[in-house]
Amino acid sequence: MSEETTAQPESPERRTFLGTATSLLMAGGLAAGYGGFAAVVGRYLYPAKPEKKGWLYAADAASMKAGDSFTYRTPTGATVAIARQGDSGEADDFIALSSTCPHLGCQVHWEGPNNRFFCPCHNGVFDPQGKGTGGPPSEAGQALPRYPLKIENGLLFIEVPLEKLDGGSAANEACGHKHPGAC
Amino acid sequence: MGVVANFIRERIPVSGDQLRELTNEPVPNHLRRWWFCLGGTPAYLFVVQIVTGILLAFYYEPSPKAAYESVHYITDEAAFGWYLRSVHKWGATLMIAAVILHQMRVFFTGAYRKPRELNWMVGMCLLICTLVTGFTGYSLVYEQLSYWGATVGANITDTVPVIGVYLKKLMLGGEVYNERTLPRFFMLHAAVLPVSIVLLLGVHITLLRLQGVTEFQFEDEPEDGPKHFNFFPDHLYSELIIGLVLMILLSVLATVLPSTMGPKADPLTTPEVIKPEWFFYVTFRWLKLFSGTAAVLSMGFIAFTMFVWPFIDGLVRRWWPKSEFSVFAGIFAVIAIVGLTTWEALVKH
Amino acid sequence: MKLTTKKSIIGALGLLFLCSLVLVQWMEVARRSEEAGLKEPHITVPATSVACVNCHAQTTAGIIDHWKGSTHARKGVGCVECHQAQKEDADAFNHYGQLIATVVTPMDCGRCHQKEFKEFTLSHHSKAGNILASLDNFLAETVEGSRVNFNPHSPTPGMTPVVEKVNGMASAFSGCQQCHGSKVALKSSDGGAITLDDLKPGPDGKPTNADAVAKIAKDSNGKPILTANTWPNTGIGRINLDGSRGSCSACHSRHDFSPRRARQPENCGKCHLGPDHPQKEIYEESKHGVAFRDLKDKMNLDAEKWVLGKDYSQAPTCATCHMSGNMRNGGKVTHDPGERISWTNRPPVSVLMDTDKDHKIVNETDPEKRRALIADTWQDKRARMMDGCTTCHTSGYVNNFYRQYDDLVILYNEKFAKPGLSIMKSLRDNGMITKTEFDDKIEWTWFLLWHHEGRRARHGAAMMAPDYTHWHGMFEVAQRFYTEFLPEARELAAHSAKDGKAAQAKAVNDVIDAILARDEHKWFKEGAEGQTEMIRKAMQERYGTGGPVAKSEEKSEAKTEAEPKK
Repeated sequence: MSEETTAQPESPERRTFLGTATSLLMAGGLAAGYGGFAAVVGRYLYPAKPEKKGWLYAADAASMKAGDSFTYRTPTGATVAIARQGDSGEADDFIALSSTCPHLGCQVHWEGPNNRFFCPCHNGVFDPQGKGTGGPPSEAGQALPRYPLKIENGLLFIEVPLEKLDGGSAANEACGHKHPGAC
Repeated sequence: MGVVANFIRERIPVSGDQLRELTNEPVPNHLRRWWFCLGGTPAYLFVVQIVTGILLAFYYEPSPKAAYESVHYITDEAAFGWYLRSVHKWGATLMIAAVILHQMRVFFTGAYRKPRELNWMVGMCLLICTLVTGFTGYSLVYEQLSYWGATVGANITDTVPVIGVYLKKLMLGGEVYNERTLPRFFMLHAAVLPVSIVLLLGVHITLLRLQGVTEFQFEDEPEDGPKHFNFFPDHLYSELIIGLVLMILLSVLATVLPSTMGPKADPLTTPEVIKPEWFFYVTFRWLKLFSGTAAVLSMGFIAFTMFVWPFIDGLVRRWWPKSEFSVFAGIFAVIAIVGLTTWEALVKH
Repeated sequence: MKLTTKKSIIGALGLLFLCSLVLVQWMEVARRSEEAGLKEPHITVPATSVACVNCHAQTTAGIIDHWKGSTHARKGVGCVECHQAQKEDADAFNHYGQLIATVVTPMDCGRCHQKEFKEFTLSHHSKAGNILASLDNFLAETVEGSRVNFNPHSPTPGMTPVVEKVNGMASAFSGCQQCHGSKVALKSSDGGAITLDDLKPGPDGKPTNADAVAKIAKDSNGKPILTANTWPNTGIGRINLDGSRGSCSACHSRHDFSPRRARQPENCGKCHLGPDHPQKEIYEESKHGVAFRDLKDKMNLDAEKWVLGKDYSQAPTCATCHMSGNMRNGGKVTHDPGERISWTNRPPVSVLMDTDKDHKIVNETDPEKRRALIADTWQDKRARMMDGCTTCHTSGYVNNFYRQYDDLVILYNEKFAKPGLSIMKSLRDNGMITKTEFDDKIEWTWFLLWHHEGRRARHGAAMMAPDYTHWHGMFEVAQRFYTEFLPEARELAAHSAKDGKAAQAKAVNDVIDAILARDEHKWFKEGAEGQTEMIRKAMQERYGTGGPVAKSEEKSEAKTEAEPKK
């Protein structure tokens, strides 16, 4: 580091010390300032939340008996098998499992009499809790993903990923370009 | 350490001396005065604009259907989105201000004179590119004023004789503002103009390096003192200080006066008060003073005059070597610009 | 400048830059927390309703937009959840692959809102449609309109289609039934209308009469046609095709079903206003209403549970006292406002709200039998109301208020209502007026006395509007009673006597004389000079001689007016 042009009558040690100290200070300040800015940028680029989730109405709890099941479609289009497996009247009676088989993505269905979920593609079998008990999922130790459920005022709610209504989705365009009467 | 240094040196065969020669241009002493650093300021702000612009483009969608919503997302939902957008907007304002100040400094110190006429013209091109970048950027938000600003801008282009009508179509991608217009503005703003600016800056700095910085001798400086100081690290430190001051200024401005969003563009309703960004106030007022083609042609004439000013000045000085003509012309121009801008800022219509 | 200085400045500026970023971070946090409250909730279209929303956003954008602002939209309840129908339902039709019905009944809402459905069904509100055979309805259907459609007597220029028949029930349909509720009807293929009387719905709401179902007329899309007389209708006592009573959207307007709106007095004011029961106006005049108008912004009207004393306490609205929860009752909301009402001021003579197991008022007078029949006493009801009152007022204060209210009701009952009723009975028993209502002048007079003025006085006292209690109430009751009702009764008796029915005339006059001989009416016959003198003295003592002076002319004026007018 040359300081010839601004040479001042100071002792060499002091000069070296001052030079090192201010260099450190400068480096620290620059790192702090621009580092802070980089942190802001990182936070900006990182998705705010992985996905928006919400509790949505799924069914009237009383309308299902133990052993009943139905297919629920989440707003994002995923299918969920919701089955009632008990009569206590609690949310624990119900189970909501993704209908997508973890093996190769086929749709499973609930077999009440056999007390199991069954995937017709490769005879995958899952127990009522979604654990793989037969076929490829059992071998790979896979299970059906579960969705949280709760009961409020006798109504069953499911927590699922949400999709935005006004996101300029294909939904709005499906009708928009056609004659309104054609919808 | 030695191994690594060797590895690099073998693959990038540049010697330290060459590097020093390349970067360590002797800087004239007058650059110790801060106002001579105005040339570096727009360059630094340009980098800020590139960085924040790229960040904004991560979320921005250049289509009339999604543009407003995506800016809304940036402003209201993305973490720190409002901050980066505000920094980008204030950066633009400061950059244009710095460009104008830099140009005024060059003008009044006569730094454009022979042999630097061409660099002045490159600078003029940079000015025009910067202004057009500002204009297109303003249009991207797709709020009411963006839309109507673009429409008015296109129709001004239309009044240019002969080529105006083609220019307008080229600009809008159609007869009127349509769904292909916004992507055009986006490409201009985010690709064509920045690349042009980079290239022009390259020429600008190369010419500056080849010709050297104009040197000034100030009265309070000792005649026999050193006439230069080192670019590295002395002048670099100065530039770092300017950069940090600008960053702090931008952050404070962004926090205190963040960019907001006006109502979404509505092609059916023109807002009561319609104004361009402040740096177009002059043009806007000028266009209101004179009608249609006359205004556009006179604007074009003024721009052309500015463009070739070094040669005009050269001619004048050849005939009257002692004349202060260009200084008076400059003062007149500054008064006119400030006057028209203030006028436009103060009135509603 | 020295290099070390420059470097130090750079270091300091870098830290300052970091500080400015801390300011930015602080702004970011402030914005987030500010937005957390203001941000519109995330709306999701349930998969079942995506097609509905896509199309209706174009065709009936208002409905979709309204719905987007609803709690339903936030909780994933879309179009189909409410409008769904089974193929057995009388009004079901296939709408682009979905079986739906136009009218959503309380039974439909009750699929999810079971408690509310149950309470509402037991309420007097749900039975508002029962006026379809009442005195008020007689007014609209016969007196104002006509029970049979009749021919127009001259053309209506420009009207298309040409008026062939005048809809005699128009006043009932557009007036009475928009509050009380229509009997929802479908067009029949034989030109008539099909209501629940024809469909005979079972407890599940499905029609049991296949013949009636077969006769339902359908449009070209296979959609059953609701008659214009009965739909649109959001009357609170609507009689629906599935046998359920009422309409939830009477208060919870579709399609946002906003609790916020149901909590505000304007919502009740669609029906509870006007000359016969100006509850809305009374409320506005009261301290409660004045405070609400002033402090509305602080009422936390969007709160999820809107518990008085916890979520707000600036002022009560109609809903606060009659339906909503308060701190003292553990936030218990009821959809049966009758649960908290101790007097019914609806009939000519106010009656205490002792109700039986079917929520009907007990009219038994024998104390022993009465006690046996009562399932819920008026005291129970008052205690429930007082939970709300005492959230803000002391119980001593509230008890005294109720004393004032009870006294006014009993004064009205004893001085005017019961005597009026006995005079009307005597006139009818003695053949001086017909059994038909509103064909004799005195029937109008009596109706105005109790149905309009008498109720205004009582409601005014119930809800603290002194002007309604006095000037719009008791004053007009008294004026009507002394200057119109009694003279008209006397005149009817005199006419009877002239027609040779002296015994009947005497019977009526005896009833009137007995009433006027009572202490509270004595002044009318015997004069009250002594009393005015007393009042004057008291006034002078209190205010000096400049005070108001009762003039004896006033009384003679009243007497002149009391002359029969016919």
